[in-house]
Amino acid sequence: MIGVGKIKQYSNVLDKPLSKGKQEVSLSAFAFLFSELVQYNQTQVDNIAELERRLEDAGYAVGARVLELLCHRDKGNRRETRLLGILSFVHSTVWKVLFGKVADSLEKGTEHEDEYMISEKELLVNRFISIPKDMGTFNCGAFVAGIVRGVLDGAGFPAVVTAHFVPVEGQQRPRTTILIKFAEEVLRREARLG
Amino acid sequence: MQFFGGTEISPSLPASTASGNNGHMMYVFNRNGVCLLYREWNRPLHTLNQQQDHKLMFGLLFSLKSLTAKMDPTTPDKANLGVPQLPGQGCSFHSFRTNTYKLTFMESPSGIKIILVTHPRTGDLRESLKYIYNLYVEYVVKNPLYTPGTPIRCELFNTTLDQYVRSIS
Amino acid sequence: MAAIYSLYIINKSGGLIFYKDYGSSGRMDTNDSLRVASLWHSMHAISQQLSPISGCFGIELLQADTFDLHCFQSLTGYISLLFFFLSKKVTRMIQGTKFFVVCEPGTQHMEGLLKHIYELYTDYVLKNPFYEMEMPIRCELFDINLTQAIQKDRVALLAR
Repeated sequence: MIGVGKIKQYSNVLDKPLSKGKQEVSLSAFAFLFSELVQYNQTQVDNIAELERRLEDAGYAVGARVLELLCHRDKGNRRETRLLGILSFVHSTVWKVLFGKVADSLEKGTEHEDEYMISEKELLVNRFISIPKDMGTFNCGAFVAGIVRGVLDGAGFPAVVTAHFVPVEGQQRPRTTILIKFAEEVLRREARLG
Repeated sequence: MQFFGGTEISPSLPASTASGNNGHMMYVFNRNGVCLLYREWNRPLHTLNQQQDHKLMFGLLFSLKSLTAKMDPTTPDKANLGVPQLPGQGCSFHSFRTNTYKLTFMESPSGIKIILVTHPRTGDLRESLKYIYNLYVEYVVKNPLYTPGTPIRCELFNTTLDQYVRSIS
Repeated sequence: MAAIYSLYIINKSGGLIFYKDYGSSGRMDTNDSLRVASLWHSMHAISQQLSPISGCFGIELLQADTFDLHCFQSLTGYISLLFFFLSKKVTRMIQGTKFFVVCEPGTQHMEGLLKHIYELYTDYVLKNPFYEMEMPIRCELFDINLTQAIQKDRVALLAR
């Protein structure tokens, strides 16, 4: 972790206290690393859909790990089993650990029962990124979508997660919406649980 | 190492003094680019031989003038870049400043160019250049033994000039 | 009333990578602005060579009859070493990314504005994965933030 300077060094990782403490990573360092991640993946693909998929995969690995860590740290090794529970876990706990704040909003899709949306006015990964015109609707938030999918998948809520730009009235910049579409089995289980 | 020292003025640079010794060097060119006079008071760094140095300086002035004429944001139609500008034609410049020196430039209607290089902290020297031009008229142009267009070798001009530049703050 | 006439960004090899005009009369076409940029690049280098003292970084302020030109150079450029065999001397020249604004004569606080623009460049251009180094800048976020910075500057000028 960056910011090691202030933290006591433990020779044995098990002696380390579980709580997060105040550890912050430099935004610039993250931005450069993320930029390199995108640039590297760009060299490996032929089209934008492929790039989106690769970013999502990278995020998935992060999500799966974050879930393990947070369940252990915050929930005493228990995990959410209900749909709304896991959604608010993602919206608040996960978001806070990753981005230092709770997500701007969590809404239920109006058209479909199985869709939920987490919206951010300015997603941290998109802070410095301008999408060239020829890349159309590509959104680097695919990485965050991947994280969300990783968390949900790990907790037993398989879903398809995508990131989209949504224009906001009176704002120059569109906000980013993470669209979560749960698998059928999840909704059936949820209905059974009542 | 002063090279990476940011925008701070390099430490070796002496502070500008209120009275004198701020002049580094001076050039006088005629309209054909012949260096009529070169005086040097304080110049620790020489990168080129004198002839090349003069050529480079004249080239810099010529190009900067053409640049400023082209960039002039207040005139709608401007000459093309690189077209020679007559004295007084187009937007010219009167000084530029780097972290190590300041160059003040003046061009007379007859195309005499006077360039004075001083400490970067010196103030507006346009009036000083006019005064130097005045000295040139008095001691060089009015000297019957001077042939226009030849290098200036007038003792009286040099001594008065040295004295005057020493007083520039 | 425009206090700032135009802004240029030149890459390390003298190519114009950003140009924006804020209302100068008779604005330049693309070819002219490219030529002006490369000419400025070489003038900047020559001014370093003509310095009477070592350690010169090039022109910071050019005062012309109708405008001032403030130039800020990042120190991350190439350092070219020029050897002069006759005089057995070495001069170093810095050629970094150059930012310059053309403004009304006597406009104050331009150094601060240029530094701010440089910060915007490092944030919204260099951290953008879709920007190729040394290539023309086409970043929406940079444009938006730059416009804001210039407007803020203008408001500050009017308030005074």
